[in-house]
Amino acid sequence: MLPNRLEARMTAGQRIQVFIQSSPARMAVIISVALFAITVAINPRSLNMAALGSILLLTLVLSFASAGQTMVLIGGGLDFTVGAVMSSAAILTTYVMNGQDGRFLLVFALAIGMGIGVGLLNGICSVKIDLPPMIVTMAISNVVTRMQYVLTQGNPGGYAGPKFVGSVIDKIWGFIPSLTLYALLLVPLVFFLLNKSRFGKQLYMMGNNPTAAHLTGVKTDKIRILMYVFSAVLSAFAGMLGAAYMGTARCQIFDEYAFNSLVAVIVGGTAFTGGIGSFAGSIAGALLMIVLSNGLTVLALSQPVRNIVQGVVLLLLLIVYNRERAVRQ
Amino acid sequence: MSNAKRLFLHFRRTPAFVGFTLFVFVLVLNIVVQGPTHFFSSRSLNTLFSKNMPLLLTTMAMAPLLISGTLDISIGIQLALVNVVSIMVFQEWGVSLYVGFSMGMLASLAVSALCWALVSVVRLPSMLASFALIYVVRGVNVLIMNKPQGKVPEAYYKTYDSLIGGVIPFSALILLFVLLIWLYLMRTKFGRNIYAVGGSPRNAFAAGINPVWVQFQASMIKGVITGLAGISLTLMTASGNPLQGEAYGLRALSACIIGGLGFGGWGSMACAVFGAGFLVTIQNTVYYFFNLLYRIIPGFTVTSYWQNLVSDIIIFFGLLMTIVTAKEQREALRQGFVKQFKGGESATQ
Amino acid sequence: MFEMCEIDKSYDAVVACRGASLQVAPGEIRALLGSNGSGKSTMVKVLAGTVKPNGGNILIDGEPVTIHSGLDCRRLGIATAFQDLSLIPTMTVRDNILLGNEPKGRLGMVDRKKSLREVAALLDRFHIDCDPDAYVQTLMPSLQSMIEVAKAVYLKPRLLLLDEVTAALHRDEVQLIFEVLRQLKAQGTAIIYVTHRMDEIFEICDTATIMRSGETVADVSISDATLNGIVFHMTGQRPDAQDILETEEFDREGSDLVLDVEHMALYPKVRDISLKAYKGEIVGIGGLEGQGQPEFIRALLGVTRPEEGTIHYMRKEVRFHSPADAVNHDIGFISGERNREAIFPDRSVAQNLFAGRAAKGALFRYLTTKVVRDFAQAAVEKYNIVVGSLRHPASSLSGGNQQKLVVARWIAVNPTLLLLDDPTKGVDILSRREIHKILKQCADEGMTIILSSSENDELLEIADRVYLFYEGRVSGTLSGATKTPERLVAAMMGMTREQNGATREARRA
Repeated sequence: MLPNRLEARMTAGQRIQVFIQSSPARMAVIISVALFAITVAINPRSLNMAALGSILLLTLVLSFASAGQTMVLIGGGLDFTVGAVMSSAAILTTYVMNGQDGRFLLVFALAIGMGIGVGLLNGICSVKIDLPPMIVTMAISNVVTRMQYVLTQGNPGGYAGPKFVGSVIDKIWGFIPSLTLYALLLVPLVFFLLNKSRFGKQLYMMGNNPTAAHLTGVKTDKIRILMYVFSAVLSAFAGMLGAAYMGTARCQIFDEYAFNSLVAVIVGGTAFTGGIGSFAGSIAGALLMIVLSNGLTVLALSQPVRNIVQGVVLLLLLIVYNRERAVRQ
Repeated sequence: MSNAKRLFLHFRRTPAFVGFTLFVFVLVLNIVVQGPTHFFSSRSLNTLFSKNMPLLLTTMAMAPLLISGTLDISIGIQLALVNVVSIMVFQEWGVSLYVGFSMGMLASLAVSALCWALVSVVRLPSMLASFALIYVVRGVNVLIMNKPQGKVPEAYYKTYDSLIGGVIPFSALILLFVLLIWLYLMRTKFGRNIYAVGGSPRNAFAAGINPVWVQFQASMIKGVITGLAGISLTLMTASGNPLQGEAYGLRALSACIIGGLGFGGWGSMACAVFGAGFLVTIQNTVYYFFNLLYRIIPGFTVTSYWQNLVSDIIIFFGLLMTIVTAKEQREALRQGFVKQFKGGESATQ
Repeated sequence: MFEMCEIDKSYDAVVACRGASLQVAPGEIRALLGSNGSGKSTMVKVLAGTVKPNGGNILIDGEPVTIHSGLDCRRLGIATAFQDLSLIPTMTVRDNILLGNEPKGRLGMVDRKKSLREVAALLDRFHIDCDPDAYVQTLMPSLQSMIEVAKAVYLKPRLLLLDEVTAALHRDEVQLIFEVLRQLKAQGTAIIYVTHRMDEIFEICDTATIMRSGETVADVSISDATLNGIVFHMTGQRPDAQDILETEEFDREGSDLVLDVEHMALYPKVRDISLKAYKGEIVGIGGLEGQGQPEFIRALLGVTRPEEGTIHYMRKEVRFHSPADAVNHDIGFISGERNREAIFPDRSVAQNLFAGRAAKGALFRYLTTKVVRDFAQAAVEKYNIVVGSLRHPASSLSGGNQQKLVVARWIAVNPTLLLLDDPTKGVDILSRREIHKILKQCADEGMTIILSSSENDELLEIADRVYLFYEGRVSGTLSGATKTPERLVAAMMGMTREQNGATREARRA
């Protein structure tokens, strides 16, 4: 990593600091394992196949939700509509499918279509309106949520088709949820987009140094719109899978994923200023978030304390990974 | 050029002009849709003020932050904090509600100081940091008051809902109070400093101003106005609820932007007032418009879901307005250049 | 009596000031002169409190003082008027003038009546006719400059520091300022006047301190000085203004005309530039800093749209909407401001090298790691870029290697026209030589290169023809026999303006 002569001159404290900051994803996995160990130590009964399977399942769902958010954050933006799009897709799935597996393709097309629509709205507005992306996507998220209520009159019906549900929650070898198979599709796709395509390279460039990217000939507007479209489409797909996991859906069912995906992505090493990060990191971040949530449940912490912990965790992340310092020469 | 015309042209250039125009337009629409007699009835006007004073004050609280170059989106849930602290202190400590309100005000100032520390001192990005703060305050609120409860004594909330001298809504007095304080502050050095820090922190520093300290002062003022907003909310609902008000954050911010405030150095308290007025009035208009449709079109029912959707769409469109105002600013700058170099004459002749 | 003694300042490896000294007495107007890289801007920044020197000290009446901020300056009685303005654009003229210095009234409020009086009197003194309630950002640049100076004067300073404030001003306005300066001088204010306009120096200044390459090289009294003598101190050359063509008088038939710019204007910096570039040429752009060179280059790239003029590229008229547009027309851009405009600090060296190719082409075609790595490996070897590993972040490279990386990035996509904006600024000598070699090679192979540089040696060495910019116009073109250091310096200092100015005035009438 570093030239040897530099390593020899560092103190132990500095070495630890470098270890922590050089790979947040690795830290996330280490802390997850440590947290889980602590949880088991506190309550030995919490170590069982069902719990492990549940952690795996929830991690996967959160990873899917975070896939789009990872892209957007790398590109220097922020997608607050992840939760609203997921909820809308979930409602769409249960309502249209209504128990009939044959309708899967129709539902898929509708969900993806909705994702493209919201994504385009997010992207075009973030390019044209000179406001922080959080505000723009927050306002759009509100509108999308209201649409849910209007279209379902607050009472979404239906349920996901049984085979579809099975394809998500059936266990392989007793504890691996078959949702993992979807991951085998999604992860390579996201990996390709981020690492093996010009789109991904331009995305990283734009996030790391927007001025340089612009001057190097990157069509930053186009990339920005595309990244929001991908994010919304991935969120919509995650919403479909979430509907299968829950069986039925209600309005605003997955709204918490707006916050959770954001934190998972930042924990996983994607800088909130953009230009750095990976999907692998976000998956590690998702694991940590789920293990943390599990731990809080085991500790039987009340909801308000969990809220405070959530807020404090995000603040700590912002402080630790804060790259913007006051400029004074 | 006549004095009146010069005054108008000067007003045209101020940031509040857009917000003012929008507000007046929607106000007229409201009067038309609701019917002048109904709108101008003292009861209707009173309700308009008392029900919407929390939002109005929250928007006004956001103004000093925006002018000084920061923001705090957790301002909404801070209303609930003031609410629960006031009620719980009153309820559990057996003291008068005034003491409760004072403690609520202190709580508001404390949270504002915390937000300032995170954003101006540690220099975290303000959107993300204040967003994280929402969760913290939300949790604290529930810890203080675990479920909606509490009653405000009748004397208090009756006064809040009353009309002074049969004409002026009591809640409007709170508004007046804040405006007077703000008008005073604008005439002090702080009034200039806040714009300098928001407009160009670097140049403000060069002029001997300390941006971090000025932002602290702005945060404290925001804390006071938020405290008043929370008190209004308490008086309006006459009870306590730890989880209310969260939506006020984004709506107050949107109202400010619609009213013409920018993210540092541009805008005024008038912008906030007009922006909030716009938001409130348009919601009113939508409500009465749907009522009208209900009466005109047989079988037309609309639930509150539709109203909420329309409201949020309007907020969203208001944000889109910034495209227009930003273009205007850029164009004004360009005109300045072209005027000088194409004109060829010196400026001082 | 204000003194700056033995000021040292370095930015990383680049030495800006080395043992520089300056002194000015009450009632004295001292010019501070220096060409590119002289260190005079740094001296100004040190005195204004925006930069902290590594060594040396500042004395006021023999007592050492420290200046860390604008507040320190105000307390010490130093006021600065900056070229890039320290005004708050979103505030009114009045508020800007009084900022930090508002007259106190009752109850902690500002005394409004006194404010109005003071500002009116100040604007009157400068003969500025503008609405004090106007927002600064709506005013013409010349007016803004006048207000910047007025603001500094209002502070009633003991030392007034004017940094290139007349750049945007008309002659009459300059005279108005000079009138005030004479009044201040009579009252005992010390004044440091930084400018590149020689005629102004001879008109208003008593003495001059001249800097070159970070050192103070001369301290002269204006009455004893000659223009040629001053220029010699500044540049080491005796200026020769003969035979300098203002515009292209010849048209090389037979050679491909790649770029033909006619009367481009992009306010406020570019007033009227015409330039031609032929295939296989290296066209140099020189001049003092801030005469419109970077703005011109960026207009060619499509970053900004010129207000006037036409650009013909490959014999077709073009209007680029964005850099992406220009890049798609095979134009490349290498910036000297690596950190802000070229390097992606956290991306690996390999990805940085590949960036040019990553920006052009199909968005979703599969790119293997091998493609990127092989490309990067070849580039590193060809251009002798010193890296620890291709996977290291680009921020780990030295300045010279970073610049070579940016050059490699662009050469690899084989542009038809390559634009460079001061590419070797802050780059070590060896890397600079290597970059020159690469550029020459590319030109030989048919690439057209436009190189803007603040280093005269560089221009004389590798450019076939050189355009000199002065105050947004071409003050001279040099090629072949006329491409001498003496003529370059004369054109750079605007000394050809007199002979050409007369013809221009005649043409305009």
